[in-house]
Amino acid sequence: MTAPLSKAWFEDYEVAMALPSVELGPMDRYDYIPIALILRDTNPLHLDRVYAQERGLHDVVQQGPLNQAYLYRYFTSLLHDPWDLVATKMRFAANVFPDDILTCGGEVLAVAPTEAGGGIVTCAVWQRNQKGETILKGEAKARVPSRG
Amino acid sequence: MTVDRTALIGRPLRAANNTVSEVDVNDFLGVVAEPDFGPADGSESAAAVASGRLAPPSFAPFVAVLGLLKTFDWQDDFLFDYRTGTAMFGEQSIAFHRPLLLGESVAISAVISDVYEKQGKQTFDVVEVTFDIKRREAGDLLMSGQQSYILFK
Repeated sequence: MTAPLSKAWFEDYEVAMALPSVELGPMDRYDYIPIALILRDTNPLHLDRVYAQERGLHDVVQQGPLNQAYLYRYFTSLLHDPWDLVATKMRFAANVFPDDILTCGGEVLAVAPTEAGGGIVTCAVWQRNQKGETILKGEAKARVPSRG
Repeated sequence: MTVDRTALIGRPLRAANNTVSEVDVNDFLGVVAEPDFGPADGSESAAAVASGRLAPPSFAPFVAVLGLLKTFDWQDDFLFDYRTGTAMFGEQSIAFHRPLLLGESVAISAVISDVYEKQGKQTFDVVEVTFDIKRREAGDLLMSGQQSYILFK
């Protein structure tokens, strides 16, 4: 994802409205090295292809927090201010591997106006791979300003 | 031998500190290019905090994961042998109370809030940890939430 998504106003959101989906990738195994350093997690499952294959996987596994980060980036790129993010709830459903193509998307679950103007938008969010398998699914909630 | 972990419910985990490191965030931004967040200039942490530069929200799960890993020992607190067993992250929920600042030092407190057994292809225990992450000096709340860990039997 390179171009920023359009940033909707509170009045633009309706329940059951689909959020724009975004494709990203292919995932790059060399990205797992800095992520391992940041997480202080040198588990060979993320870095050593032979080790992963010995455990029945076809390749190394992308770190879960990196999958999450891509879904956070997707959702917060829809917001006028990324830190309008209020809450998230996410569940890991499957692994990501090098060269996977990920798609992030979502749907509006609830809209709640606030007295100060604008409101809170709650969305289902998901991340899937090129086979349509769900990698992450959950909810994200954010403050969205009024068009004014 | 089957381990009964339900007695762990309510156990407070050890207090831990962590830093929203500029180096880590810069490395992170090198992978997860964030359109609204550029790399910091590498100045020291105190200056970064004073300048009020923000880490992206997408870095928040890293702060939670890293901080929480410092609050427990797999064997002592979860009765789990990490060398022979298989564990993975389960569900994570986070409420955001204010943005994360580059360089700020945070304090993590956590408690085991629930333990229950589930049956999938294998039987596993879900250990749910409830946490608060506060600014270390001022004590204002940055994030709160739950993280569950799946421990296969």
